[in-house]
Amino acid sequence: MPETPAAPPGETVLTVSGLRKSFGRFMALSGVDLKVRAGEVRAIIGPNGAGKTTLINVLGGQLAGDAGRVVFAGKNLMNKYPHQVSAMGVGRTFQISSTFRRMTVYENMLSAHNAASGRWFSLSTALLRKMHGAVMEDLESIHLAELAGRVVDDISHGDRKRLEFGMVLASRPRLLLLDEPTAGMGLQERHDLIDLMLREIRERKITLLFVEHDIDIVFRAADYITVMANGKVFAEGLPGEISDNQEVQEIYLGVK
Amino acid sequence: MANEPSPATPGSLSPGNSHAMTMLDKYRINWRLTAALMAVSVLGLFTLPPLMVFALIEVMIFALFASALNLWLSYAGILSFGHAVYFGLGAYGVAITIERFGWPMPLGILAGPVVSALFALVFGFLCVQLTTIYMAMLTLACAEVTYAVAFQWFDFTGGDSGISGHVPAMLGLSPSWYGVVVLVVVTLSILALWRIVHSPLGLTIRAVGQNTIRAGAMGHGRKKVQLISFVIMGFMSGIAGTLFGVFHGNVFPDYMGVGYTIDGLVMVLLGGLHSFGAGIYGAIVYKTLDNLVSHFFLYWQLVIGVILLAVVLFSPSGIAGIVERIKERMRGGSDV
Repeated sequence: MPETPAAPPGETVLTVSGLRKSFGRFMALSGVDLKVRAGEVRAIIGPNGAGKTTLINVLGGQLAGDAGRVVFAGKNLMNKYPHQVSAMGVGRTFQISSTFRRMTVYENMLSAHNAASGRWFSLSTALLRKMHGAVMEDLESIHLAELAGRVVDDISHGDRKRLEFGMVLASRPRLLLLDEPTAGMGLQERHDLIDLMLREIRERKITLLFVEHDIDIVFRAADYITVMANGKVFAEGLPGEISDNQEVQEIYLGVK
Repeated sequence: MANEPSPATPGSLSPGNSHAMTMLDKYRINWRLTAALMAVSVLGLFTLPPLMVFALIEVMIFALFASALNLWLSYAGILSFGHAVYFGLGAYGVAITIERFGWPMPLGILAGPVVSALFALVFGFLCVQLTTIYMAMLTLACAEVTYAVAFQWFDFTGGDSGISGHVPAMLGLSPSWYGVVVLVVVTLSILALWRIVHSPLGLTIRAVGQNTIRAGAMGHGRKKVQLISFVIMGFMSGIAGTLFGVFHGNVFPDYMGVGYTIDGLVMVLLGGLHSFGAGIYGAIVYKTLDNLVSHFFLYWQLVIGVILLAVVLFSPSGIAGIVERIKERMRGGSDV
Protein backbone atom coordinates (compact mmCIF):
# COMPACT_ATOMS: atom_id res chain seq x y z
CA MET A 1 0.00 0.00 0.00
CA PRO A 2 2.59 2.71 0.87
CA GLU A 3 4.59 3.92 -2.09
CA THR A 4 7.85 3.95 -0.18
CA PRO A 5 8.53 0.55 1.41
CA ALA A 6 9.17 0.72 5.13
CA ALA A 7 12.69 0.01 6.33
CA PRO A 8 13.36 -3.64 7.13
CA PRO A 9 12.12 -4.53 10.61
CA GLY A 10 14.73 -4.22 13.29
CA GLU A 11 16.44 -1.21 11.80
CA THR A 12 16.23 1.89 13.98
CA VAL A 13 14.19 4.65 12.31
CA LEU A 14 13.72 7.09 15.16
CA THR A 15 16.50 8.09 17.52
CA VAL A 16 15.95 10.57 20.33
CA SER A 17 18.93 11.52 22.46
CA GLY A 18 19.29 13.87 25.39
CA LEU A 19 16.02 15.64 24.63
CA ARG A 20 15.20 18.43 27.05
CA LYS A 21 12.26 20.78 27.38
CA SER A 22 11.26 22.99 30.25
CA PHE A 23 8.30 25.29 30.87
CA GLY A 24 9.67 28.05 33.06
CA ARG A 25 11.28 26.25 35.98
CA PHE A 26 9.41 23.02 35.40
CA MET A 27 11.50 20.51 33.47
CA ALA A 28 9.04 18.42 31.45
CA LEU A 29 11.73 16.48 29.59
CA SER A 30 15.05 16.11 31.35
CA GLY A 31 17.12 14.16 28.84
CA VAL A 32 15.05 11.57 26.98
CA ASP A 33 16.87 8.80 25.12
CA LEU A 34 14.80 6.58 22.88
CA LYS A 35 15.28 4.30 19.88
CA VAL A 36 12.34 2.99 17.86
CA ARG A 37 12.67 0.28 15.22
CA ALA A 38 10.89 0.28 11.88
CA GLY A 39 7.50 -1.36 11.90
CA GLU A 40 7.40 -1.47 15.68
CA VAL A 41 4.35 -0.69 17.82
CA ARG A 42 5.78 1.18 20.77
CA ALA A 43 3.76 2.28 23.77
CA ILE A 44 4.84 5.06 26.09
CA ILE A 45 3.37 4.86 29.56
CA GLY A 46 4.02 6.66 32.79
CA PRO A 47 2.28 8.62 35.54
CA ASN A 48 0.75 12.05 34.93
CA GLY A 49 3.40 14.70 34.42
CA ALA A 50 5.99 12.17 33.23
CA GLY A 51 6.42 14.15 30.00
CA LYS A 52 4.70 11.79 27.55
CA THR A 53 2.58 14.36 25.75
CA THR A 54 5.42 16.89 25.79
CA LEU A 55 7.61 14.31 24.06
CA ILE A 56 4.99 13.76 21.35
CA ASN A 57 4.56 17.52 20.92
CA VAL A 58 8.30 18.10 20.49
CA LEU A 59 8.54 15.23 18.00
CA GLY A 60 5.54 16.58 16.07
CA GLY A 61 6.90 20.13 15.97
CA GLN A 62 4.06 21.61 18.06
CA LEU A 63 6.63 22.52 20.74
CA ALA A 64 10.29 23.45 20.34
CA GLY A 65 12.76 21.43 22.39
CA ASP A 66 15.52 23.15 24.40
CA ALA A 67 18.32 20.69 23.73
CA GLY A 68 18.99 17.25 22.33
CA ARG A 69 18.77 15.44 19.03
CA VAL A 70 15.93 13.82 17.11
CA VAL A 71 16.74 11.87 13.97
CA PHE A 72 14.11 10.20 11.85
CA ALA A 73 15.10 8.00 8.89
CA GLY A 74 18.54 9.58 8.83
CA LYS A 75 17.23 13.15 8.83
CA ASN A 76 17.15 15.75 11.55
CA LEU A 77 13.66 16.12 13.00
CA MET A 78 14.56 18.42 15.88
CA ASN A 79 12.67 21.71 16.05
CA LYS A 80 11.05 21.61 12.65
CA TYR A 81 7.68 23.30 11.98
CA PRO A 82 4.70 20.92 12.08
CA HIS A 83 4.20 21.14 8.32
CA GLN A 84 7.86 20.19 7.79
CA VAL A 85 7.52 17.25 10.16
CA SER A 86 4.46 16.17 8.21
CA ALA A 87 6.35 16.44 4.93
CA MET A 88 8.98 14.06 6.31
CA GLY A 89 6.36 11.35 6.70
CA VAL A 90 5.39 11.76 10.34
CA GLY A 91 1.67 11.95 11.15
CA ARG A 92 -0.01 12.50 14.48
CA THR A 93 -3.27 12.64 16.37
CA PHE A 94 -3.98 14.70 19.45
CA GLN A 95 -5.17 13.90 22.96
CA ILE A 96 -8.33 15.85 22.23
CA SER A 97 -9.17 14.85 18.67
CA SER A 98 -8.33 17.60 16.26
CA THR A 99 -10.53 17.85 13.18
CA PHE A 100 -12.33 20.53 11.17
CA ARG A 101 -15.47 20.83 13.23
CA ARG A 102 -17.55 22.95 10.86
CA MET A 103 -16.83 20.80 7.82
CA THR A 104 -18.59 17.56 6.99
CA VAL A 105 -16.93 14.20 7.60
CA TYR A 106 -16.44 13.97 3.86
CA GLU A 107 -14.79 17.39 3.61
CA ASN A 108 -12.45 16.50 6.48
CA MET A 109 -11.20 13.46 4.62
CA LEU A 110 -11.12 15.46 1.38
CA SER A 111 -8.92 18.05 3.14
CA ALA A 112 -6.53 15.31 4.21
CA HIS A 113 -6.23 14.05 0.65
CA ASN A 114 -5.94 17.60 -0.61
CA ALA A 115 -3.05 18.27 1.76
CA ALA A 116 -1.36 15.02 0.81
CA SER A 117 -1.76 15.65 -2.93
CA GLY A 118 0.92 18.34 -2.96
CA ARG A 119 -1.41 20.51 -5.06
CA TRP A 120 -3.23 22.29 -2.26
CA PHE A 121 -2.82 25.64 -4.04
CA SER A 122 -4.63 24.53 -7.20
CA LEU A 123 -7.83 26.20 -8.40
CA SER A 124 -9.07 23.14 -10.26
CA THR A 125 -12.27 21.64 -8.85
CA ALA A 126 -11.70 18.63 -11.11
CA LEU A 127 -8.79 17.73 -8.85
CA LEU A 128 -11.19 17.40 -5.92
CA ARG A 129 -13.60 15.28 -7.93
CA LYS A 130 -10.72 12.95 -8.80
CA MET A 131 -10.08 12.39 -5.09
CA HIS A 132 -13.66 11.29 -4.53
CA GLY A 133 -13.07 7.56 -4.92
CA ALA A 134 -10.12 7.47 -2.55
CA VAL A 135 -11.94 9.63 -0.01
CA MET A 136 -14.95 7.30 0.10
CA GLU A 137 -12.67 4.26 0.28
CA ASP A 138 -10.84 5.71 3.26
CA LEU A 139 -14.13 6.58 4.96
CA GLU A 140 -15.30 2.99 4.41
CA SER A 141 -12.16 1.60 6.00
CA ILE A 142 -12.78 3.56 9.20
CA HIS A 143 -16.53 2.82 9.07
CA LEU A 144 -17.58 6.43 8.54
CA ALA A 145 -18.95 6.31 4.99
CA GLU A 146 -22.50 6.38 6.33
CA LEU A 147 -21.81 9.66 8.11
CA ALA A 148 -20.04 11.31 5.15
CA GLY A 149 -22.57 14.15 4.90
CA ARG A 150 -22.69 14.96 8.60
CA VAL A 151 -21.01 18.02 10.07
CA VAL A 152 -18.21 16.87 12.38
CA ASP A 153 -19.59 18.94 15.25
CA ASP A 154 -22.63 16.64 15.23
CA ILE A 155 -20.89 13.25 15.34
CA SER A 156 -19.86 11.34 18.47
CA HIS A 157 -16.54 11.62 20.25
CA GLY A 158 -15.52 8.13 19.16
CA ASP A 159 -16.38 8.82 15.53
CA ARG A 160 -14.25 11.96 15.64
CA LYS A 161 -11.29 9.99 17.01
CA ARG A 162 -11.67 7.49 14.17
CA LEU A 163 -11.98 10.28 11.63
CA GLU A 164 -8.82 11.96 12.88
CA PHE A 165 -6.94 8.68 12.64
CA GLY A 166 -8.22 8.10 9.10
CA MET A 167 -7.21 11.62 8.06
CA VAL A 168 -3.68 11.07 9.32
CA LEU A 169 -3.46 7.77 7.40
CA ALA A 170 -4.44 9.60 4.21
CA SER A 171 -1.10 11.37 4.20
CA ARG A 172 0.61 7.93 4.10
CA PRO A 173 2.90 8.49 7.07
CA ARG A 174 5.86 6.22 7.84
CA LEU A 175 5.80 7.11 11.51
CA LEU A 176 2.63 7.74 13.46
CA LEU A 177 2.44 9.55 16.80
CA LEU A 178 -0.81 8.92 18.65
CA ASP A 179 -1.47 10.78 21.87
CA GLU A 180 -3.97 8.76 23.91
CA PRO A 181 -5.84 7.38 20.90
CA THR A 182 -8.66 5.93 23.01
CA ALA A 183 -9.04 8.60 25.71
CA GLY A 184 -12.58 9.24 26.87
CA MET A 185 -14.19 6.29 25.11
CA GLY A 186 -16.22 3.34 26.39
CA LEU A 187 -14.57 -0.02 27.01
CA GLN A 188 -15.87 -1.89 23.95
CA GLU A 189 -15.33 1.18 21.76
CA ARG A 190 -11.70 1.39 22.89
CA HIS A 191 -10.95 -2.16 21.93
CA ASP A 192 -12.66 -1.81 18.56
CA LEU A 193 -10.74 1.35 17.81
CA ILE A 194 -7.34 0.02 18.78
CA ASP A 195 -7.95 -3.15 16.77
CA LEU A 196 -8.88 -1.07 13.75
CA MET A 197 -5.80 1.09 14.19
CA LEU A 198 -3.49 -1.91 14.55
CA ARG A 199 -4.96 -3.55 11.47
CA GLU A 200 -4.35 -0.47 9.33
CA ILE A 201 -0.90 0.18 10.78
CA ARG A 202 0.33 -3.39 10.28
CA GLU A 203 -1.12 -3.53 6.78
CA ARG A 204 0.73 -0.35 5.80
CA LYS A 205 3.88 -1.22 7.77
CA ILE A 206 3.77 2.03 9.71
CA THR A 207 5.95 2.54 12.76
CA LEU A 208 3.79 3.56 15.71
CA LEU A 209 4.62 5.48 18.83
CA PHE A 210 1.64 5.91 21.12
CA VAL A 211 0.93 7.32 24.54
CA GLU A 212 -1.78 5.51 26.47
CA HIS A 213 -3.13 5.44 30.00
CA ASP A 214 -5.26 2.34 29.61
CA ILE A 215 -2.98 -0.54 30.59
CA ASP A 216 -5.31 -3.06 28.95
CA ILE A 217 -4.89 -1.32 25.62
CA VAL A 218 -1.14 -1.04 26.07
CA PHE A 219 -0.64 -4.76 26.63
CA ARG A 220 -3.08 -5.59 23.86
CA ALA A 221 -1.25 -3.52 21.28
CA ALA A 222 2.39 -2.86 22.09
CA ASP A 223 5.40 -4.84 20.86
CA TYR A 224 7.63 -2.91 23.19
CA ILE A 225 6.98 -0.54 26.07
CA THR A 226 8.80 2.55 27.29
CA VAL A 227 8.03 3.74 30.80
CA MET A 228 8.60 7.43 31.47
CA ALA A 229 8.87 9.18 34.84
CA ASN A 230 9.97 12.70 35.73
CA GLY A 231 10.83 13.60 32.17
CA LYS A 232 13.10 10.61 31.58
CA VAL A 233 12.92 7.08 30.30
CA PHE A 234 12.57 5.01 33.45
CA ALA A 235 12.41 1.50 32.00
CA GLU A 236 12.03 -0.24 28.68
CA GLY A 237 11.19 -3.76 27.68
CA LEU A 238 8.84 -6.31 26.24
CA PRO A 239 5.32 -6.25 27.72
CA GLY A 240 6.13 -9.29 29.86
CA GLU A 241 9.26 -7.69 31.23
CA ILE A 242 7.48 -4.46 32.07
CA SER A 243 4.61 -6.16 33.87
CA ASP A 244 7.13 -8.12 35.95
CA ASN A 245 9.30 -5.11 36.77
CA GLN A 246 8.98 -4.33 40.49
CA GLU A 247 10.03 -0.69 40.21
CA VAL A 248 7.56 0.01 37.37
CA GLN A 249 4.81 -1.54 39.41
CA GLU A 250 5.67 0.74 42.31
CA ILE A 251 5.77 4.02 40.38
CA TYR A 252 3.05 3.34 37.91
CA LEU A 253 0.89 0.33 38.43
CA GLY A 254 0.44 1.29 42.07
CA VAL A 255 1.43 -2.13 43.44
CA LYS A 256 3.36 -1.98 46.70
CA MET B 1 -24.51 30.77 -5.61
CA ALA B 2 -26.60 29.41 -2.76
CA ASN B 3 -25.25 26.66 -0.61
CA GLU B 4 -27.24 23.88 -2.18
CA PRO B 5 -28.31 23.02 -5.67
CA SER B 6 -32.08 22.81 -5.76
CA PRO B 7 -33.25 19.26 -6.30
CA ALA B 8 -36.33 19.20 -8.51
CA THR B 9 -38.67 17.92 -5.82
CA PRO B 10 -38.00 16.37 -2.47
CA GLY B 11 -37.53 12.64 -2.64
CA SER B 12 -37.11 12.60 -6.40
CA LEU B 13 -33.40 11.83 -6.26
CA SER B 14 -33.03 8.80 -8.46
CA PRO B 15 -31.20 5.83 -6.99
CA GLY B 16 -28.65 6.17 -9.77
CA ASN B 17 -27.68 9.56 -8.36
CA SER B 18 -25.36 8.06 -5.78
CA HIS B 19 -25.39 9.44 -2.27
CA ALA B 20 -21.67 10.01 -2.57
CA MET B 21 -21.61 12.21 -5.65
CA THR B 22 -23.96 14.69 -3.99
CA MET B 23 -21.09 15.43 -1.59
CA LEU B 24 -19.34 17.57 -4.17
CA ASP B 25 -22.49 18.81 -5.89
CA LYS B 26 -22.77 21.70 -3.49
CA TYR B 27 -19.40 22.93 -4.77
CA ARG B 28 -20.88 23.64 -8.18
CA ILE B 29 -21.91 27.12 -9.24
CA ASN B 30 -25.68 27.53 -9.16
CA TRP B 31 -26.12 29.09 -12.58
CA ARG B 32 -29.90 29.26 -12.29
CA LEU B 33 -29.72 31.37 -9.15
CA THR B 34 -26.96 33.52 -10.65
CA ALA B 35 -29.02 34.20 -13.77
CA ALA B 36 -32.14 34.93 -11.70
CA LEU B 37 -30.31 37.43 -9.48
CA MET B 38 -28.78 39.13 -12.50
CA ALA B 39 -32.13 39.37 -14.25
CA VAL B 40 -33.79 40.90 -11.20
CA SER B 41 -30.92 43.37 -10.86
CA VAL B 42 -31.12 44.45 -14.51
CA LEU B 43 -34.87 44.85 -14.19
CA GLY B 44 -34.30 47.01 -11.12
CA LEU B 45 -31.65 49.13 -12.82
CA PHE B 46 -33.95 50.08 -15.67
CA THR B 47 -37.29 50.43 -13.88
CA LEU B 48 -36.56 51.86 -10.45
CA PRO B 49 -36.49 55.62 -9.75
CA PRO B 50 -32.97 57.16 -9.93
CA LEU B 51 -32.50 57.34 -6.17
CA MET B 52 -33.06 53.59 -5.88
CA VAL B 53 -30.85 52.86 -8.87
CA PHE B 54 -27.99 54.55 -7.00
CA ALA B 55 -28.84 52.49 -3.92
CA LEU B 56 -28.84 49.30 -5.99
CA ILE B 57 -25.40 50.07 -7.44
CA GLU B 58 -24.06 50.62 -3.95
CA VAL B 59 -25.59 47.35 -2.81
CA MET B 60 -23.77 45.52 -5.61
CA ILE B 61 -20.41 47.15 -4.93
CA PHE B 62 -20.62 46.47 -1.21
CA ALA B 63 -21.79 42.92 -1.82
CA LEU B 64 -18.40 42.33 -3.42
CA PHE B 65 -16.49 44.17 -0.69
CA ALA B 66 -18.28 42.25 2.06
CA SER B 67 -17.89 38.94 0.21
CA ALA B 68 -14.15 39.55 -0.03
CA LEU B 69 -14.04 40.33 3.69
CA ASN B 70 -16.10 37.20 4.30
CA LEU B 71 -13.25 35.15 2.81
CA TRP B 72 -11.19 36.30 5.78
CA LEU B 73 -13.81 36.08 8.50
CA SER B 74 -15.65 32.91 7.52
CA TYR B 75 -12.96 30.88 5.81
CA ALA B 76 -9.38 32.04 6.40
CA GLY B 77 -9.78 32.69 10.12
CA ILE B 78 -8.43 36.22 9.79
CA LEU B 79 -10.03 38.82 12.04
CA SER B 80 -9.49 42.31 10.71
CA PHE B 81 -10.02 45.90 11.79
CA GLY B 82 -8.39 47.38 8.73
CA HIS B 83 -9.82 45.86 5.55
CA ALA B 84 -11.33 49.07 4.13
CA VAL B 85 -7.79 50.15 3.27
CA TYR B 86 -7.83 47.71 0.33
CA PHE B 87 -11.19 49.08 -0.78
CA GLY B 88 -9.89 52.64 -0.64
CA LEU B 89 -6.60 51.76 -2.30
CA GLY B 90 -8.52 50.50 -5.32
CA ALA B 91 -10.00 53.95 -5.78
CA TYR B 92 -6.67 55.66 -5.01
CA GLY B 93 -4.83 53.37 -7.42
CA VAL B 94 -7.04 54.59 -10.24
CA ALA B 95 -6.83 58.26 -9.27
CA ILE B 96 -3.08 58.39 -8.68
CA THR B 97 -1.99 56.44 -11.75
CA ILE B 98 -4.16 58.65 -13.95
CA GLU B 99 -3.80 62.00 -12.22
CA ARG B 100 -0.18 61.84 -11.00
CA PHE B 101 1.47 59.36 -13.37
CA GLY B 102 -0.50 60.35 -16.44
CA TRP B 103 -1.57 56.80 -17.29
CA PRO B 104 -4.37 56.44 -19.82
CA MET B 105 -7.74 56.01 -18.15
CA PRO B 106 -8.44 52.32 -19.02
CA LEU B 107 -5.00 51.32 -17.75
CA GLY B 108 -5.45 53.37 -14.58
CA ILE B 109 -8.76 51.67 -13.88
CA LEU B 110 -7.16 48.25 -14.27
CA ALA B 111 -4.36 49.36 -11.94
CA GLY B 112 -6.79 49.93 -9.03
CA PRO B 113 -7.22 46.31 -7.92
CA VAL B 114 -3.55 45.55 -8.60
CA VAL B 115 -2.45 48.36 -6.26
CA SER B 116 -4.73 46.92 -3.56
CA ALA B 117 -3.33 43.43 -4.06
CA LEU B 118 0.26 44.69 -3.82
CA PHE B 119 -0.45 46.52 -0.57
CA ALA B 120 -2.23 43.38 0.72
CA LEU B 121 0.91 41.40 -0.08
CA VAL B 122 3.14 43.76 1.89
CA PHE B 123 0.76 44.32 4.83
CA GLY B 124 -0.20 40.64 4.78
CA PHE B 125 3.43 39.62 5.09
CA LEU B 126 3.64 41.68 8.29
CA CYS B 127 0.26 40.62 9.67
CA VAL B 128 0.65 36.84 9.27
CA GLN B 129 3.67 36.94 11.57
CA LEU B 130 1.07 37.29 14.34
CA THR B 131 -2.16 35.43 15.05
CA THR B 132 -5.72 36.09 16.29
CA ILE B 133 -6.40 39.42 17.98
CA TYR B 134 -2.77 40.51 17.65
CA MET B 135 -2.99 40.07 13.92
CA ALA B 136 -6.25 42.03 13.93
CA MET B 137 -4.55 44.92 15.72
CA LEU B 138 -1.78 44.91 13.15
CA THR B 139 -4.31 45.07 10.30
CA LEU B 140 -5.68 48.17 12.02
CA ALA B 141 -2.21 49.68 12.36
CA CYS B 142 -1.43 49.11 8.67
CA ALA B 143 -4.73 50.71 7.69
CA GLU B 144 -4.27 53.70 10.00
CA VAL B 145 -0.79 54.42 8.66
CA THR B 146 -2.08 54.32 5.09
CA TYR B 147 -5.04 56.50 6.02
CA ALA B 148 -2.73 59.04 7.65
CA VAL B 149 -0.54 59.17 4.55
CA ALA B 150 -3.58 59.63 2.29
CA PHE B 151 -4.91 62.32 4.62
CA GLN B 152 -1.71 64.33 4.98
CA TRP B 153 0.45 63.90 1.89
CA PHE B 154 -1.43 66.67 0.16
CA ASP B 155 0.75 66.94 -2.97
CA PHE B 156 0.43 63.29 -3.86
CA THR B 157 -2.93 62.06 -2.53
CA GLY B 158 -4.82 65.33 -2.41
CA GLY B 159 -5.05 65.14 1.38
CA ASP B 160 -8.48 65.37 2.93
CA SER B 161 -9.98 66.90 -0.21
CA GLY B 162 -9.01 63.80 -2.14
CA ILE B 163 -8.77 63.60 -5.91
CA SER B 164 -11.60 64.11 -8.34
CA GLY B 165 -12.13 64.67 -12.02
CA HIS B 166 -9.61 61.99 -13.08
CA VAL B 167 -12.45 59.91 -14.47
CA PRO B 168 -15.93 61.05 -15.44
CA ALA B 169 -18.39 59.83 -12.81
CA MET B 170 -19.91 56.53 -13.92
CA LEU B 171 -17.61 56.69 -16.97
CA GLY B 172 -20.10 59.18 -18.41
CA LEU B 173 -22.73 56.46 -18.69
CA SER B 174 -26.28 56.70 -17.44
CA PRO B 175 -26.78 55.29 -13.92
CA SER B 176 -28.63 52.30 -15.36
CA TRP B 177 -25.87 51.38 -17.77
CA TYR B 178 -23.10 51.97 -15.25
CA GLY B 179 -25.14 49.67 -13.05
CA VAL B 180 -24.93 47.00 -15.73
CA VAL B 181 -21.13 47.37 -15.82
CA VAL B 182 -21.00 47.03 -12.03
CA LEU B 183 -23.36 44.07 -12.11
CA VAL B 184 -21.20 42.18 -14.61
CA VAL B 185 -17.92 42.89 -12.81
CA VAL B 186 -19.35 42.11 -9.36
CA THR B 187 -20.99 38.90 -10.56
CA LEU B 188 -17.79 37.65 -12.20
CA SER B 189 -15.79 38.53 -9.09
CA ILE B 190 -18.18 36.80 -6.69
CA LEU B 191 -18.28 33.73 -8.95
CA ALA B 192 -14.47 33.75 -8.90
CA LEU B 193 -14.58 33.90 -5.09
CA TRP B 194 -17.00 30.95 -5.10
CA ARG B 195 -14.65 28.97 -7.30
CA ILE B 196 -11.68 29.81 -5.09
CA VAL B 197 -13.49 28.81 -1.89
CA HIS B 198 -14.51 25.49 -3.46
CA SER B 199 -11.17 24.65 -5.06
CA PRO B 200 -8.23 22.77 -3.53
CA LEU B 201 -6.80 26.15 -2.53
CA GLY B 202 -10.11 27.11 -0.89
CA LEU B 203 -10.21 23.85 1.03
CA THR B 204 -6.70 24.60 2.25
CA ILE B 205 -7.69 28.13 3.29
CA ARG B 206 -10.71 26.75 5.18
CA ALA B 207 -8.62 24.04 6.83
CA VAL B 208 -6.07 26.54 8.12
CA GLY B 209 -8.85 28.91 9.18
CA GLN B 210 -10.78 26.28 11.12
CA ASN B 211 -7.97 24.41 12.84
CA THR B 212 -4.43 25.69 12.43
CA ILE B 213 -2.98 22.84 14.48
CA ARG B 214 -4.59 20.06 12.49
CA ALA B 215 -3.82 21.83 9.21
CA GLY B 216 -0.20 22.21 10.30
CA ALA B 217 0.07 18.53 11.21
CA MET B 218 -1.32 17.74 7.73
CA GLY B 219 1.42 19.77 6.12
CA HIS B 220 -0.05 23.25 5.63
CA GLY B 221 2.12 26.21 6.63
CA ARG B 222 -0.25 28.78 8.15
CA LYS B 223 1.64 31.92 7.17
CA LYS B 224 1.86 31.06 3.50
CA VAL B 225 -1.82 30.12 3.25
CA GLN B 226 -3.05 33.19 5.13
CA LEU B 227 -0.83 35.44 3.02
CA ILE B 228 -2.53 34.06 -0.10
CA SER B 229 -5.88 34.91 1.53
CA PHE B 230 -4.63 38.46 2.12
CA VAL B 231 -3.79 38.94 -1.54
CA ILE B 232 -7.06 37.46 -2.82
CA MET B 233 -9.08 39.59 -0.39
CA GLY B 234 -7.04 42.67 -1.24
CA PHE B 235 -7.54 42.19 -4.96
CA MET B 236 -11.30 41.62 -4.67
CA SER B 237 -11.78 44.59 -2.32
CA GLY B 238 -9.71 46.60 -4.75
CA ILE B 239 -12.16 45.77 -7.53
CA ALA B 240 -15.03 46.95 -5.31
CA GLY B 241 -13.15 50.14 -4.42
CA THR B 242 -12.31 50.81 -8.06
CA LEU B 243 -15.98 50.49 -9.02
CA PHE B 244 -16.92 52.80 -6.15
CA GLY B 245 -14.34 55.46 -7.02
CA VAL B 246 -15.37 55.45 -10.68
CA PHE B 247 -19.04 55.54 -9.63
CA HIS B 248 -18.50 58.86 -7.88
CA GLY B 249 -15.61 60.04 -10.05
CA ASN B 250 -13.55 60.85 -6.95
CA VAL B 251 -11.65 59.45 -4.00
CA PHE B 252 -11.34 60.54 -0.37
CA PRO B 253 -9.35 59.20 2.59
CA ASP B 254 -12.66 58.11 4.12
CA TYR B 255 -12.90 55.36 1.50
CA MET B 256 -10.24 53.51 3.48
CA GLY B 257 -11.30 54.70 6.91
CA VAL B 258 -12.60 52.98 10.00
CA GLY B 259 -16.18 53.77 8.96
CA TYR B 260 -16.06 51.49 5.92
CA THR B 261 -14.18 48.87 7.91
CA ILE B 262 -17.01 48.71 10.42
CA ASP B 263 -19.63 48.76 7.65
CA GLY B 264 -17.98 45.67 6.19
CA LEU B 265 -17.88 43.84 9.52
CA VAL B 266 -21.54 44.62 10.25
CA MET B 267 -22.56 43.39 6.80
CA VAL B 268 -20.82 40.04 7.23
CA LEU B 269 -22.13 39.52 10.78
CA LEU B 270 -25.63 40.50 9.69
CA GLY B 271 -25.38 38.19 6.68
CA GLY B 272 -24.16 35.29 8.77
CA LEU B 273 -20.65 34.04 9.50
CA HIS B 274 -19.54 30.76 7.94
CA SER B 275 -21.81 31.13 4.95
CA PHE B 276 -20.76 32.10 1.46
CA GLY B 277 -23.76 34.38 0.98
CA ALA B 278 -23.01 36.44 4.10
CA GLY B 279 -21.54 39.39 2.22
CA ILE B 280 -24.36 39.50 -0.30
CA TYR B 281 -27.19 39.23 2.22
CA GLY B 282 -25.50 41.69 4.55
CA ALA B 283 -24.88 44.29 1.83
CA ILE B 284 -28.47 44.09 0.62
CA VAL B 285 -29.97 44.68 4.07
CA TYR B 286 -27.40 47.17 5.34
CA LYS B 287 -27.13 49.34 2.24
CA THR B 288 -30.87 49.31 1.66
CA LEU B 289 -31.45 50.61 5.16
CA ASP B 290 -28.59 53.09 4.77
CA ASN B 291 -29.93 54.50 1.53
CA LEU B 292 -33.65 54.30 2.02
CA VAL B 293 -34.47 54.47 5.71
CA SER B 294 -32.07 57.37 6.20
CA HIS B 295 -34.36 59.49 4.03
CA PHE B 296 -37.36 58.93 6.26
CA PHE B 297 -35.74 58.41 9.59
CA LEU B 298 -32.77 60.40 10.83
CA TYR B 299 -31.58 57.72 13.22
CA TRP B 300 -31.34 54.88 10.72
CA GLN B 301 -28.26 53.55 12.45
CA LEU B 302 -30.47 52.94 15.46
CA VAL B 303 -32.53 50.64 13.24
CA ILE B 304 -29.37 48.81 12.15
CA GLY B 305 -28.30 48.50 15.76
CA VAL B 306 -31.62 46.97 16.81
CA ILE B 307 -31.57 44.57 13.85
CA LEU B 308 -28.00 43.53 14.58
CA LEU B 309 -28.91 42.97 18.22
CA ALA B 310 -31.86 40.82 17.18
CA VAL B 311 -29.70 38.79 14.79
CA VAL B 312 -26.98 38.17 17.34
CA LEU B 313 -29.52 37.15 19.98
CA PHE B 314 -32.00 35.14 17.93
CA SER B 315 -30.12 33.96 14.82
CA PRO B 316 -26.37 33.90 15.39
CA SER B 317 -25.96 32.43 11.92
CA GLY B 318 -27.43 35.65 10.56
CA ILE B 319 -29.65 36.10 7.55
CA ALA B 320 -27.98 33.11 5.89
CA GLY B 321 -29.13 30.97 8.81
CA ILE B 322 -32.70 32.20 8.42
CA VAL B 323 -32.63 31.53 4.66
CA GLU B 324 -31.24 28.06 5.33
CA ARG B 325 -34.03 27.28 7.78
CA ILE B 326 -36.70 28.44 5.33
CA LYS B 327 -35.17 26.29 2.58
CA GLU B 328 -35.13 23.28 4.87
CA ARG B 329 -38.77 23.77 5.81
CA MET B 330 -39.76 24.09 2.15
CA ARG B 331 -37.87 20.90 1.37
CA GLY B 332 -39.64 19.20 4.27
CA GLY B 333 -36.33 18.41 5.90
CA SER B 334 -35.83 15.50 3.48
CA ASP B 335 -32.26 16.30 2.60
CA VAL B 336 -29.13 16.42 4.72
